[in-house]
Amino acid sequence: MLALQILVNGILLGGIYASIAGGFSLVWGVLNVINILHGSFVVLGAYMAFFAYTLLGIHPYLFVPIAALLLFAIGLAVQYAIVNRVIDAPVLVSLTLTFGLTLFLDNVMLNAFKADFRKVNLRPPLGIIDVSDYLPAIDIIVPVDRLASMAFAILLVALLYWLLRRTSIGRAIVAVRMDRYAASLMGVDTRIIFAVTFGIGAAMAGAAGALLSPIFPISPLASTAYLGKAFVICILGGLGSVTGVLVGGVALGVLESFGAYIFGPEHSLTLSFTLLILLLIFRPTGLLGKRGFI
Amino acid sequence: MRDRTHAWMRLGQVLSLAIALLAFGPLSRSLAQAQTGPIRVGAPLPLTGPLSPEGIKLQQGYEIWKDEVNAAGGINVGGTKRPVEIVYYDYQSATPKAVQLAEKLVTDDKVDFMFSPFGSGATKAASTVAEKYQIPTLAPTASSVEVYDQGYKYLFGTFTPNDTLSEPLTELIRAKMPNAKKVAILARNDLYPLAIGVEFEKSAKKRGFDVVYFEKYAINTLDHASALTEIRNTKADWIVATGYTNDMILVRKQMADLGIKAQAITMINAPAYQEFIDATGPLSENVTSAGWWHPAARYKSKDIFGSTERYTELFQKKFKYVPDYTAATGSAVGVLLQMAIERAGTTDRVKVRDALAAGGYDTFFGPLSFTPAGQAISYVPPIFQIQDGKTIVVAPDAVKSGDLKLGVR
Repeated sequence: MLALQILVNGILLGGIYASIAGGFSLVWGVLNVINILHGSFVVLGAYMAFFAYTLLGIHPYLFVPIAALLLFAIGLAVQYAIVNRVIDAPVLVSLTLTFGLTLFLDNVMLNAFKADFRKVNLRPPLGIIDVSDYLPAIDIIVPVDRLASMAFAILLVALLYWLLRRTSIGRAIVAVRMDRYAASLMGVDTRIIFAVTFGIGAAMAGAAGALLSPIFPISPLASTAYLGKAFVICILGGLGSVTGVLVGGVALGVLESFGAYIFGPEHSLTLSFTLLILLLIFRPTGLLGKRGFI
Repeated sequence: MRDRTHAWMRLGQVLSLAIALLAFGPLSRSLAQAQTGPIRVGAPLPLTGPLSPEGIKLQQGYEIWKDEVNAAGGINVGGTKRPVEIVYYDYQSATPKAVQLAEKLVTDDKVDFMFSPFGSGATKAASTVAEKYQIPTLAPTASSVEVYDQGYKYLFGTFTPNDTLSEPLTELIRAKMPNAKKVAILARNDLYPLAIGVEFEKSAKKRGFDVVYFEKYAINTLDHASALTEIRNTKADWIVATGYTNDMILVRKQMADLGIKAQAITMINAPAYQEFIDATGPLSENVTSAGWWHPAARYKSKDIFGSTERYTELFQKKFKYVPDYTAATGSAVGVLLQMAIERAGTTDRVKVRDALAAGGYDTFFGPLSFTPAGQAISYVPPIFQIQDGKTIVVAPDAVKSGDLKLGVR
C-alpha cells in the first residue's frame, strides 16, 4: 500500500512538472532557443496569482487564463523586442541573452516583492480525498489541489496539441519547426511565428505559475529549481513532442518519488540528473522525441 | 676619512629624526583624535546574494543600536562620550570574500572592533583575522560549538550551542506526552539544519523516545511526499523537521496533503518568522519551535534599550515589522560591545576583551556570559508555539506567555 501511495504521489507530482515544462519544450523545439527565462516566467505567474487572490479574491484556478494572457503579452514583447535580434545566432548566444534577462527579472521581482516566501492559502482549503472512505481496502490519500493541477496540466497540453494541429497559426509553427526557410518560402512570416511561439511558451509558464501558487512557496529565488525540472523533462520526454512533456513529467515525478523512497530523500535530485546524463548518452532524442514537432 | 664618516653619520641621524617626526607626527595626532573621535566597528555582511535577507536583518539590528547610542551622545568611555561609526562591506554571501574584507577592515579601515559575518561557517573563517590582530570580535549568528574550538581569545558569540534548543524542547514534549514512543526526524542536508536534527535525535533517545525515522533531504528539494508517506506509515507521535523557511512551508503543506496527524510537530527554524505563519495559514497552528530570542520574551535589561518590550517597540516603529532573532542578535552584539567598553572605561582592546570574558551582561536579548571558549551559555533560548496565528512562548518559565498545546490540524 505504501508503494501505491508513492506511485500516486509521483504521478501527481509529474502532472505539476508537465505544466512547468510545456512552454519550455515548445520554445526550445521550435525556436531552438533554450529559454532560461522560463523559470522566472513561472514565478511571475505565481506572484500574479498570489496578488490576485490576496488583493482581489480571484481564485488561482480562475486566474489561470488571465495569467496566461498577461504572460503571453509579456512573452510576445520580450521576443519581438529583444530575443528576435539573436534568433539566427548560435544557440549559446540566445542562451546567454535569456540568462541575462532572467537575472534581470529575478532581481526586479526581488526588489518589488522582497525575498519573503509566500503561498496562496485557499480558504477553505481544497482538502484531501481519502480513498479508503470509499474503498476501505485501498488506503490512499489524494490532495485535491495537486489533482486539479494535474487535470489542468493535461488540459493545457491538450490545448497546445489542438492549437498546433488544427489552427493555421499552429500549422505555421509546426512548419517553421520543420524547416524555417521552406516555411518562409511558403509565405510564413517567421518573425511573427517566432514571437507568437515565445508568447505561447510564456503563457504556459504563467498558467503553470498560477496552478503552483497554492502548492509551492513563492519566491523570486525559486525560478532555477523550476528551470532545472523543465530541462530534465524535455530531455526525458523528447524535444519537439507535446505528449513527450506529459510522459517526461510523469516519468520524472514517479522516478523521483520512488528514488526518494528507495535511496532516501537526499538522493532524489541526484537520481534525476543521473538519469538525464544516461539518456543523453543512450537515447539523446528522449523517450518520444523525433524530428519535427508533434 | 674619519671626519667624513662622522659627517655622514650626523646626516643620517638628522634624516632619521626628520623621518621619525614626519611619520609619528600624524600618528600622534591620530592617537589624540582616536580618544575623542568615533569608535569604529567593522561589519562584513552578506547584503546581496542568497543570504541577503539575513544580512539585511543583521544590518537593521546594528543600525537601530547605533542610532540609539548616538542619539544619547555616544558610548561613555571613562567619562567621555564617543559616537559609534559602523563600517560596512558587502561580501555577497561568499565566505572567502568575507575573510578578505575582515582583513581589509582591520588593516585599511583600522576599525577598533568587529562584528562577525553571518552564520557559523563564515564566522569561523573570519575569526582568524580578528585573532591575528587581536581585535575583539562579536559573533551574532554562530551557534555551532565547532566555531569556538580553536582556543581563540577575541571571539564572543551570542548564540548558545545547538543542543540548548533541542534539550529543553524535548524535555517539554516528554513532560506533556509521557506515553509517546515514536519520533520521526526529517532534516535538510545542510550544516546547521542537519546538526540540529542530530541534536534532536540525541535528546529524544535520551528521554526514551524511539527514533523510528531519520532521513536527510537534499537542498532545493521540491517534493517531500515520499519521505512524508514513510513518516505517516510509522505513525510517529512527534515529527521534527529542520530546514529553512521555504522547506518548512512545503513540508507542512505536504503533511496536510497526506493527512498526517501527529500529536506534536516541531520545525526549526521557520516558525520564528512571520512569513511562515502567513504562508501556511491555519496549518501553522500548534507547530512548536525554538530560537535564541523571541519578541514575546520579557527580559528587563541594563542596556540602552531597557527591556525586550521597548526594543521590539522601537524596532517595529523604525522598520515596520516585528524583529526576529536575527535582527535582535545584531542589536545584542551592539549593546554587548557598548556595555563592555563602558565597564572597561577604555577602548583598549585587551581590556575590553577581558571585560567581555568576565560576562554578566543583562541585555534585552537575555543575560549574556560566555564559556572560556567565548560562546554564550547564560540563557535558556525561548521555546515557542504558534497558537491562534500568534507566537506564544511556552518555556522557559521566566519568560513564558502560555502553555504547550498538543495536536495539530
